[in-house]
Amino acid sequence: MHGADAVARFEAERARLVWRQRAGTFIGLALASAVLWGSVILSGVADQSLGADPWGRVAAFLDRLAPDLRADALFEGRDRPGSIAFWYYDFPRWVAAAFETLQIAILATVFGAAAAATLSALAARNTMPIGAVRFVVRRIFEILRTTPEIILAIILVAAFGVGPLAGLIAVTLGTIGSLGKLFTEVNENVDPRPAEAVRACGGAWAVQLRYGLAPQIAPNYASYALIRLEVNIATAAALGIVGAGGIGLELERAISFTQFDTYLAILLMILVLIMACDLASSEIRRRLIGLDRAR
Amino acid sequence: MSRSALSPAEAIARAKSIAPDALDPSLSRQAPGVLAAVLAIGAIVGMAVSLDVDPSAIGKGWDNIVRFLKIMAHPSDGGMPHRIYGAMVETIAMAVLATAIAALVAFPLGLLGARTIVGNRVFHFGLRRFLDAFRGAPALVWALVLVSAVGLGPLPGVLAMALADIPNMAKLFAEAIENVDERPRDGVRAAGGGDLAGLRYAVAPQVAPVMASQTLYFLESNFRNAAVLGIVGAGGIGLELDERIRVFAFDQVAYILIVYIICVMALDFMSASLRRRLM
Repeated sequence: MHGADAVARFEAERARLVWRQRAGTFIGLALASAVLWGSVILSGVADQSLGADPWGRVAAFLDRLAPDLRADALFEGRDRPGSIAFWYYDFPRWVAAAFETLQIAILATVFGAAAAATLSALAARNTMPIGAVRFVVRRIFEILRTTPEIILAIILVAAFGVGPLAGLIAVTLGTIGSLGKLFTEVNENVDPRPAEAVRACGGAWAVQLRYGLAPQIAPNYASYALIRLEVNIATAAALGIVGAGGIGLELERAISFTQFDTYLAILLMILVLIMACDLASSEIRRRLIGLDRAR
Repeated sequence: MSRSALSPAEAIARAKSIAPDALDPSLSRQAPGVLAAVLAIGAIVGMAVSLDVDPSAIGKGWDNIVRFLKIMAHPSDGGMPHRIYGAMVETIAMAVLATAIAALVAFPLGLLGARTIVGNRVFHFGLRRFLDAFRGAPALVWALVLVSAVGLGPLPGVLAMALADIPNMAKLFAEAIENVDERPRDGVRAAGGGDLAGLRYAVAPQVAPVMASQTLYFLESNFRNAAVLGIVGAGGIGLELDERIRVFAFDQVAYILIVYIICVMALDFMSASLRRRLM
């Protein structure tokens, strides 16, 4: 019978497909489990002995992390245990350190963006005709982007000594790496016609740049630089841990003196700083894009 | 009115009214820009001064950098390549493990955080703000805390990266689920499927590739993080680097950095080609 034959063929085909899919799922799961199991073994996580009572230690740690605040003394002076002022006993110095972190981030963004803008002209296909130069500049961006800023900072602290200068240079180098790549892409996506129109009207090279190219690239550059500023504040705050200035230094000090409630106090300040800067920069970016649309 | 009817003076006046910034170099028009530039430069110089950036320190530091670079020009494994490669493998394994843990925890959180899955407004708002509160804390900060809590080694490093990733991943997962095309779900429902069948046959096929691709991005960023966490004692290649920088063994530092950069590029390449296949 022809119909039964067709049904049988369909069933056979379906069974084959289902089996194949199940086999694929099984192999995928086996592979994923092997990778996971391998990484548990290779990372040495399994070998790490936690010692006696790990949860008790975590609890003790959390207990020391929590500040000793008392409701009746909350708004008393600095020398009254249990008040907020007692918890934030060194507030003016921490504010100064946070301000230093902010300055490192802003300066590094400005210097990094300026260097990246210059170098990206050497890395974009439409502004740099010599392939060898493009290749070298792109590899420099890549190396700067891949090397963690903390590692750069440790090397720079060894060279320049403990202080904000090493942090400033480390963050600047990282910024050049990441912004350089993004700026290069912006350069390559530029529409050449406005600049050609300016040239056709007799505009000199500088005028072509100012009225043909700058209006296209400036909003993108600014937007990327602002995003990078947000990243840089978090990085600059962390770099202090290796001695590169700013609020991270205070964080590290609190840890090494095992003053965990102080650690939490400074950590909260860092989080507030990062959040405030995120809000400010996304507001500026929103306005820049708005201006761009209105134009 | 034809164009030729305009006298040259009229044409100039008209052009000026169309593009005043370009064609009017008068001081009153340029003044705000000049003022802003002067203020910006003043602020930059002021910040540089307040950070004690003095030229003599830069010069002395530069001499040191040149000295370091001269040593770095001859990379050496210091006679113990097995230790360096062992630490490298450990770093990769830490990143894989942390990404897997983070994805496993972030998946249900993302599902709960998606407005289209859980309709309750208050719950949605609460969960999202809860995740936002933890989104700012980077892995290094978690690592500092966890090293003090569970001791030195790769375990606090893995946990730190997972904890730093979970809120970010959950947010991206929730957004991916919210951006799903709702019509396949309606189709499953119309065919008599329940909520679970809708998730399995309508939502999952749409979000799985997006989630997998985002997870691969997190794997890349975790590998970069894993290289840093060793500095605070949380395992991986960072410890080896830190030790060698402290004893000024820059030939070995250069060797490790080269191996590390090659590993990063290889991992980025693999994950990019996997992502292309997913999409």
